[in-house]
Amino acid sequence: MVTGSPPSAEARQVVRAAAQWLALMESGAASDRDRANLQHWRDSHPSHEHAWQKAQLLRQRFADLPSTLAMASLDRPQASRRKVLKRAVGAVALVPAAWLISRQLPVDVWRADLRTATGEGKKVQLADGSSLQLNTASAVDIDLQNRRLTLVEGEIALSVPGTSPLTVQTQFGQVVVSQGQVCVRQRQTGCRVSVLKGAVQLQPLRGPVFSLGAGQQVSLLAAGAGAVEPFDVLAPGWRDGVLMAQNQPLGDFLRELSSYRPGVLRWEPALESLRVTGSFRLEDTDRILSLLAASLPLEVHRRTRYWVTLLPRKNIA
Amino acid sequence: MSNGSDAADLSQDTFLRVLASSQRIADLQEPRAYLATVGKRLLTNFYKRRSLEQAYLDALMLLPEECVPSPEQRWLLLEALQALDELLDGLPVAVRRAFLWSQLEGLGYAEIAERLQVSERTIKRYMAQAYEHCLLVEW
Repeated sequence: MVTGSPPSAEARQVVRAAAQWLALMESGAASDRDRANLQHWRDSHPSHEHAWQKAQLLRQRFADLPSTLAMASLDRPQASRRKVLKRAVGAVALVPAAWLISRQLPVDVWRADLRTATGEGKKVQLADGSSLQLNTASAVDIDLQNRRLTLVEGEIALSVPGTSPLTVQTQFGQVVVSQGQVCVRQRQTGCRVSVLKGAVQLQPLRGPVFSLGAGQQVSLLAAGAGAVEPFDVLAPGWRDGVLMAQNQPLGDFLRELSSYRPGVLRWEPALESLRVTGSFRLEDTDRILSLLAASLPLEVHRRTRYWVTLLPRKNIA
Repeated sequence: MSNGSDAADLSQDTFLRVLASSQRIADLQEPRAYLATVGKRLLTNFYKRRSLEQAYLDALMLLPEECVPSPEQRWLLLEALQALDELLDGLPVAVRRAFLWSQLEGLGYAEIAERLQVSERTIKRYMAQAYEHCLLVEW
């Protein structure tokens, strides 16, 4: 740490003496004579008394702490300086484009109710080493003591390192993740589970438990599980801050896009069946609309920033 | 670095440290090297803070529910722990541990000596060393 000028030789001497007096007093072996000598030392110069008082304050700071928590935190296994630095320096290269991922929440996540607003994302490291990412307009209740996450609405991506299974509870069934990475998205009519890595166990509302492997996705509905379908695990998605479309009907694309945009997004039915292909950065949805206008026969009309209508482009020429 | 705002915080922190330091920037022979050194040191501190946070979280999770502090208290505690962690930084592991056992768990020198398999005289020396270190850091 960069600090001011170092203490003078005299100050060092006083501090050393105070430290030795303290060590003696706490040893339980101090005699009455020692105590008298200490008193004499403290009285003999204001700087002695000052050092003694500072030492008492220091002791108080430790005494005020709950011992179990403090011991576990301060007496944790220490990585060597070189190792720490190596990891630190290695990590600098990994700074990702910060999409709408807000600051990590380090403390409250052993039990918490997390929520994201429209257009917001959150990424948290859970206390057990799992990581959790919330998509736009999502809510999840975390209860690590019971190894359970409840997806209230929206979409999460969960990565479990394999120490102990985590259960994601949805309105349409349960997803048990022992080791792996999974996306769970809940809508009013159903819930889609996509496995990116590892495998998960699914318990639909109706029907038997089954397992789903990497590259597979399935919809859980009130009537039970739908058909298992393959999907491309490598395609970038909301977790990377990207919205992908491959020859997708514009209507579907815009419905998806509007879940990331606060406000109203409308379009004429004639636009519904135009096709969109591309990958779009979610950090600026206004820009996505401009890109659409540049590549498709449509115009963007903005009443306000929060009320946007797409219309077929009039033939000019 | 797991996200951009951490990185931004860190570089901000670097400049604040430089501004707060007694050395005048104009006096620096090698400002770039100086910034790199300060930055590296802060990065190390940053990872120490992270590892402390993690240890703290793990410990919180193991506490019975009625002993878990309120969210506000949790933050305050974490801050207090971070300050003490920085204060103890640089002490040899055995000295640090002996000091923590004494301060936090109220163990006597004899018991600490037995745990660490050293003499009581050594423990007394450890304690003096730890006190001296902490007092000097904040002098």
